[in-house]
Amino acid sequence: MKARMAIYLGLLLFIASSLHVGVGLKKRLSNPTPDGVLLTIYSTTDTDAFYPVIQDFRTRHPSITIQYELLDALPLYDRVIAESNSEETGADLVLSSAMDLQVKLANNGYAAPHISASGDSMPSWARWRNEAFGVTFEPAVMVFSNRLMAGRPLPQTRSELLKALRTERDFWHGRVGTYDISRSSVGYLLASQDVRRSSEFGMLLDAFGEAEVQVSENTSSLLDHIENGNIAVGYNLLGSYARARLENGADISIVYPQDYTLAVSRTAIILRSSQNPETAHLFLEYLLSARGQKLLSEHSYLSAVRPAPDGPDNRLGFSQSQVGLLHPISLGPGLLVYLDPMKRESLLQTWSEALTLPPQQRTPPEIAFSD
Amino acid sequence: MSQSLMPSFQANQISLRLRLAAWLGLVLLASMIGLSVAARSHADAAANRSYDRMLLGSALSIAETISINGDEIRIDLPYAALDMLSAAPDDRVFYSVTGPSGEYITGNAELPMAEGFRPRDEPHFFDANFKGEKFRFATLGREIARSSKTGWIWVEVGQSRRARNALGRELFLNAILPIGAMMIIVLLFVWFAIGRALSPLRKIGQEIAGRQPNDLTPINSSVPQDVAPLIISLNVFMRRLDENIEALRSFIADAAHQMRTPLAALRAQAQMSDEDDQDELRKGLQAVERNAAKLTRLLDQLLSDSTVTHRSDIRDFSPFDLGRNLRQCLLEAAPMRSDATFSFKSSCEDATYTGDSVMIGEAVKNLIHNAVHHGDGESKGVDVTLEEYAGNYVISVSDHGKGVSDTQSEVLFERFARHNHQASGFGLGLAIVKRVVVSHHGKIKLFNRKGGGLTVEISLPKSAP
Repeated sequence: MKARMAIYLGLLLFIASSLHVGVGLKKRLSNPTPDGVLLTIYSTTDTDAFYPVIQDFRTRHPSITIQYELLDALPLYDRVIAESNSEETGADLVLSSAMDLQVKLANNGYAAPHISASGDSMPSWARWRNEAFGVTFEPAVMVFSNRLMAGRPLPQTRSELLKALRTERDFWHGRVGTYDISRSSVGYLLASQDVRRSSEFGMLLDAFGEAEVQVSENTSSLLDHIENGNIAVGYNLLGSYARARLENGADISIVYPQDYTLAVSRTAIILRSSQNPETAHLFLEYLLSARGQKLLSEHSYLSAVRPAPDGPDNRLGFSQSQVGLLHPISLGPGLLVYLDPMKRESLLQTWSEALTLPPQQRTPPEIAFSD
Repeated sequence: MSQSLMPSFQANQISLRLRLAAWLGLVLLASMIGLSVAARSHADAAANRSYDRMLLGSALSIAETISINGDEIRIDLPYAALDMLSAAPDDRVFYSVTGPSGEYITGNAELPMAEGFRPRDEPHFFDANFKGEKFRFATLGREIARSSKTGWIWVEVGQSRRARNALGRELFLNAILPIGAMMIIVLLFVWFAIGRALSPLRKIGQEIAGRQPNDLTPINSSVPQDVAPLIISLNVFMRRLDENIEALRSFIADAAHQMRTPLAALRAQAQMSDEDDQDELRKGLQAVERNAAKLTRLLDQLLSDSTVTHRSDIRDFSPFDLGRNLRQCLLEAAPMRSDATFSFKSSCEDATYTGDSVMIGEAVKNLIHNAVHHGDGESKGVDVTLEEYAGNYVISVSDHGKGVSDTQSEVLFERFARHNHQASGFGLGLAIVKRVVVSHHGKIKLFNRKGGGLTVEISLPKSAP
């Protein structure tokens, strides 16, 4: 009896210490209550963006303590696999905008099914196998600096952007920004969808290369540059972040590409290795519920996936009729294609060659996908 | 009356309707099971076929992109290769490409391989458990021949079976549900049809139940062909019952009548007897004695008749010596009349016969009695013979009386029939004899003897047919 108590105590201490040590970006969003349940979420989103939703969830379920850890998509993926395979105490729920990696997790059997009416009411592109659910709807947009563009017409399509880049080479030189797809998983996902859909994407990349495109691994730093007037256009940036800047008075314009607008969906999966599956299901159900979706779209600039809570006007911050062809990236096995090591290698190679980056930046970091 | 009798009859057998319905249900169930098995395998095969085609398409599209760059084998995984598999929206997908020496090229390294797999161009499909779920795999080989690398490149694509199982289930249910519904309808229909088909039986039952107890007339209502034999048998049975009742009634009447005469005579004698006149008294007593003997004889015969009737029913046959039996009968009959002479002749040394010795004895005793009684000629001799002739034992009993006419010989075998009403006797004797002979499958013959007298000849087959 005493020995068992000691083991439990040791285990508790171990869990507690492992939760506090290590990863820098880690936040506890409520004080642990003695008999409370701990819900661990690994996420690629800024904590602030999900903060209102989590707060609301907490007021409804005060006994649940949420531990929210921020990681980059690839380390997150590797960590989930490592923890699941070693049966370490890890995350209960994973939120990631790297839809492809989330699908891969589900495909490899790390996800637990979540069956509910809310889940069923999600559009088919936003759910796969009842295991992966897209909870937000974030279009990839072009963001222009109004100061730099000063009077120039804003390109509304990729063709127009390409034409502009070709005609005014001097103006655009050093003033184009996009994701570094070798480091940003969302950037890679968006680029792979562009490769798949657009025959002009190759030429666009060449034009980016000529303009000595600035690459970054996150939207925020690019938006900073655009706000500051260092960059005239940011390509394939997440509209949610841009909308937040716009509302805070940034002098920028958001253009939803009229030829087609890709939309990324932050994807949630409950892990099979979850220690608190009931709590994880409760939280996911809340995210998918009308209330959770409404909060996401109202307070986090993360548009809801469910059309019902926010209506057509609210969904993108303006009427959908202004957007051309909306292409939400569909959750499904198709997303696994660009995770194929050979495929990825060749896409990154095409990318780096087109962008003619200096040799030391050209070699992509070695990434091995474990299953 | 019939109502109160009902409870004593127990219908402990399952009803015809239930029996028919159960058999039909069994047949339907068996065919349903057979159909289900067939439909299941058919549906699964169909589902497999359509999804295998998709899986093969995926493998083919991957195989199409195989290229060799120097010594390096390269695959440009087409988006459609995996995207086309989303036709099964909720199924997991794995693929792998393996080089000639088994080296990993791309995809998932650890996919299962089909057992006993040999390199070939044709695609190969197989099921395997993988990552906690049942998967269907398609493998496809492409031969490459180069100086440095020669051999087969394997493309393997696997998909979990969720959608194809669902399709198989759907196809199966689509096939089997209407059949099942049909069978239930058929069974219900059969239940009512059997009820209707059996209604004539119920009708006949009601008709019989509604009859007066003494109504034994044939059933005349029209019935289906199948029931006709039952009704015919029932009618025949009722007719025989009717005849038997009739015969019994007349037998009782006759027996009563026969008993009344000597009893009446007895009473008359007793009343008229004059105690003073010794002569009269003696005559009266003689008459009483005579009538009492007559009554005894009658009762003997009635007893004999009932014995024979009873024994012919139980058929207790066993071998016995016919000659000794006849001699014994003669010995018992001899004291009956001191004025008669008896002779017995047998031409058989051994006359073992299988039959009821008591019945045969009764028959012979009756014949001897008749012969003594009716042979009222000069000599009251009774001749009994036993012969063996053409597989029969022939017993003949002859008297020296008047004999009978041809018309009389017909009725002599009926009870209480006497060819001569003046003569004493009750006419039971020959009826008893006939019953005995018939129950032994024998024949009886009456003929007038040359020189006066009657011969009764019984022939009994040595081996009963």
